[in-house]
Amino acid sequence: MRRFFSLFLVLLLVIAACTPITPRPDELTFPPLAFSLPTVEKTSLVNGTKLYLRQDHELPLIDVTAMVGVGRMHDPAAKAGLCALYAATLRNGGAGSRDGAAVDDLLAQMAGELGVSCDNDALTLHLSIPAEEIDHGLSLLTDLLRHPRFENGRFELARRQKLEAIRRQNDRPTSIAHRLLAEAIYGDHPLGRMASEASLQRIDREDLLVQHDLLMNPENLWLAISGDFDANLLKKKLTTLFDGWNSGGGGLPPLPARSAISSPRLLLVDKPLPQSTILFGELGVDKSSPDLAAIRVMNYILGGGGFNSRLMREVRSNRGLAYSVYSYFRVGRRLPGTFLAGCETRSDATATVIELIRQEMERLRREPVSVEELHLAKESLINSFVFAFTGTHAILTQAMRIDLFGYPSDYLERFREQVAAVTVDDVLSVAQKYLHPERQVLVVVGDTSVFVDALGAEEEVEWVDPQRSLLLP
Amino acid sequence: MMLRCVVRCWPLLLLMFCSSSANALQLEEKVQEHTLKNGLRLLMVERHDAPTVAAYITLGVGSVDEGNENRGVAHLLEHMLFKGTKQLGTVDYRREAPLLAEIEVTAEALSAAKVQTPRNEEEVSRLAAKLSELQEQHRPLVVKDEFSRIYAENGGSGYNAFTSKDLTTYLIELPANKLELWAAIESDRMQNAVLREFYTERNVVMEERRRSRETEPRGLLYEHLLATAFTVHPYRAPIIGWMSDLEHLTLAETRNFLHRYYAPVNTVIALVGDFNPEDAITLVERYFGAIPTGEPVPKVTAVEPPQRGERRVNVVYDCEPQMLIAYRKAPLPDRDDYLFDLAAQILGEGRSSRLYRRLVEEEQLATSVATYGAPGSRYPNLFVISAIPRSPHNAAEVETVIYEELARLGNELVSDEELEQARKQLRVGTLRQLRGNGGLARMLTYYQTVAGDWRYVTRYNEAITSLSAEELQGLARRAFVPENRTVATIGRSGE
Repeated sequence: MRRFFSLFLVLLLVIAACTPITPRPDELTFPPLAFSLPTVEKTSLVNGTKLYLRQDHELPLIDVTAMVGVGRMHDPAAKAGLCALYAATLRNGGAGSRDGAAVDDLLAQMAGELGVSCDNDALTLHLSIPAEEIDHGLSLLTDLLRHPRFENGRFELARRQKLEAIRRQNDRPTSIAHRLLAEAIYGDHPLGRMASEASLQRIDREDLLVQHDLLMNPENLWLAISGDFDANLLKKKLTTLFDGWNSGGGGLPPLPARSAISSPRLLLVDKPLPQSTILFGELGVDKSSPDLAAIRVMNYILGGGGFNSRLMREVRSNRGLAYSVYSYFRVGRRLPGTFLAGCETRSDATATVIELIRQEMERLRREPVSVEELHLAKESLINSFVFAFTGTHAILTQAMRIDLFGYPSDYLERFREQVAAVTVDDVLSVAQKYLHPERQVLVVVGDTSVFVDALGAEEEVEWVDPQRSLLLP
Repeated sequence: MMLRCVVRCWPLLLLMFCSSSANALQLEEKVQEHTLKNGLRLLMVERHDAPTVAAYITLGVGSVDEGNENRGVAHLLEHMLFKGTKQLGTVDYRREAPLLAEIEVTAEALSAAKVQTPRNEEEVSRLAAKLSELQEQHRPLVVKDEFSRIYAENGGSGYNAFTSKDLTTYLIELPANKLELWAAIESDRMQNAVLREFYTERNVVMEERRRSRETEPRGLLYEHLLATAFTVHPYRAPIIGWMSDLEHLTLAETRNFLHRYYAPVNTVIALVGDFNPEDAITLVERYFGAIPTGEPVPKVTAVEPPQRGERRVNVVYDCEPQMLIAYRKAPLPDRDDYLFDLAAQILGEGRSSRLYRRLVEEEQLATSVATYGAPGSRYPNLFVISAIPRSPHNAAEVETVIYEELARLGNELVSDEELEQARKQLRVGTLRQLRGNGGLARMLTYYQTVAGDWRYVTRYNEAITSLSAEELQGLARRAFVPENRTVATIGRSGE
């Protein structure tokens, strides 16, 4: 009997081995990935400009990014919008011997693209040109940095465009929600102060000139150039073009103090729409936090991991209540950034979805995540690490930003190791430390008559007119 | 996060694709082609600068291939194809199958009961309760979003899909050592897809519609433009479908669309990145080679009748004014289509373009203006001018200036310098599109699908170089006439 049984087993195994069963995709095995960090040439010109170079001859194109580490958060209290106007007028206001229109004509002749923008932390200029236009391109770049004209007409145009943007800022519910949330979280801090008609009217051309003299000097300038060029030749050209341009006295302006911890608020904006926009938020972390890797893993599980996150699963996949539902930490470079979680859902599901999102945050604070969830989040972050190093210009500007904002030089490499070390307990601990559903700000824009009664009366509801800033008395 | 999106900005992308490269011939040499016996076409470009691969699978079927009875199905199916197969996404498909069948029968009965007159409320609630009970029973048999988990664990990036009027694309970028994983998952998905959790996903798509159309002025305006400019041709309908379409789309229709069109003969795959083409051919042959050829997607037979007068729609919505002006035009590779690319460049691309300079800088009537082709490329389509008026100016003032500039293009010959500059801008614009692995893979599958040959890209430069100023003038005179025009505006008073 025993013998027969073994024979039977053997037979079974033979049959199984002969049946052509396609392996499940997740049972495949793979060769190891050969991967070395790409090299970036870091150097500086004699006048102090930091220069990042990477040659890439695949396509006859050149990309240039110039940055100065001054952004919205340095805007003076009464002049919210200064950095944005400075960026727009630097782009459009003429440079060197050319007025604004002539600069645009030159760009068109070169088939070049030029943009200047300002975010919370920095001013960024990006120029893209075909390789054959390197001389014209570098000379235009130099004129923009050294000899911008800030023409009055173009400055006025920039102001009018910005005013029109303010007029339109309530056209879309998401833009209302994000603006109100920033005002509620940061309050009377540059990151909470939105440009307004009044603040824009207080800015004049003289402010732009002062800003430029103070900030735009080789000491503060970071330059990244990638593409189809010869690096040695390029450095020679730049040295010539930057000749005689030396750093003045202007360091960076002082940072405004960090804002206080936010208090819980429920802000409602009534708009007769078929779908509500829901946005939770609170003050988060800056780059010096020792918990960044654990936060990244925790947020992947909460709402940052797409279809592998709990919010997506509960709200979208299981219940069909949203197309987009997410959470993320914007890690501040200098001051704490924000944690945000949000979604859009049909009006009559608003209260249900708010409750679901809250429950998921509470659950992360209360219960350890499963080993499987932790494993998936870590594997995903670690194995997709290679995508932090794709795209020649992206690699270069990433390396530059790491230095500009003072991250440790091995930040990316170490980050991968730190992710690998995150434990279930770490996730629980950072959830408790950084997610505070009880003191978050919640903004809801939508047809309030449908859902306001279902919200429950735990918080005091504040009705907000989106035409008015929350900061006004 | 734009997962599985209907690409609303697709028309903008199109314009950027519609141009060619300085090193067109180089690209032509770099692309390797292989066609499987079953008709599946594989395009490959090696790039070894980073150890990653972009993999794009494009089916030459989109919302244009829908009829009145199944509008929205191409896009809904794209969502459903993330729900797994007979082996992925399930605890045990044999146990699941009978339950899925019962769910379908109940949901169809509910759908029928809802539209019956007089409506039997008792029956409706009974069926609704039964449906949710069955769905509850089904849930433990589902392994949620398993494709997504496997790709994520293996370091996949940008796992997504998009549906346009003309085609549907499934895309991902992977670490270079994981190419076989992609082949295994995607060939399984092509053959063994199980459309589970259909009724929940249909609700997700309704939320997507509310988000992209019903609370978004730009989307709402665009939707109205198409529904006004086209009367017969399926380009008139939104890719995502109208709300009532979504409420009544059936699982049977969705399954039918899958089995009719998702076949190798309608499929183009592009792989771009760090891999060995010979190995890739072996891999694709092994995983996709046994799939039956299938039937080609039939041509759309509906022909838009000649337009016999200007059409106009004023959408009333709580927002500041925006406007779109569209002229009907021929699709690629008609010579007119190339001429419209030139016109778009000269009129609205960049800050020294004619419309931008006049409207935004000189007269300051608008804060932005743009020109592009829409909504698809396989059938006669539209040349669109979009503009945002600057208060206190209104859409009518902007419109007047646009017509003056269009008339100028018909009255005066474009100078050689302006023509050459526009050509160069189109050429360099294409180069920029080739930069990433994903960008190149997208261009290859796109043109292979809509133009029948990816070499449309590499030969484009030659085509635009042959265009003369006189031809452009002739086109402007022929095309930019009121009876060929549709104007759509949106705002609190409709304009």
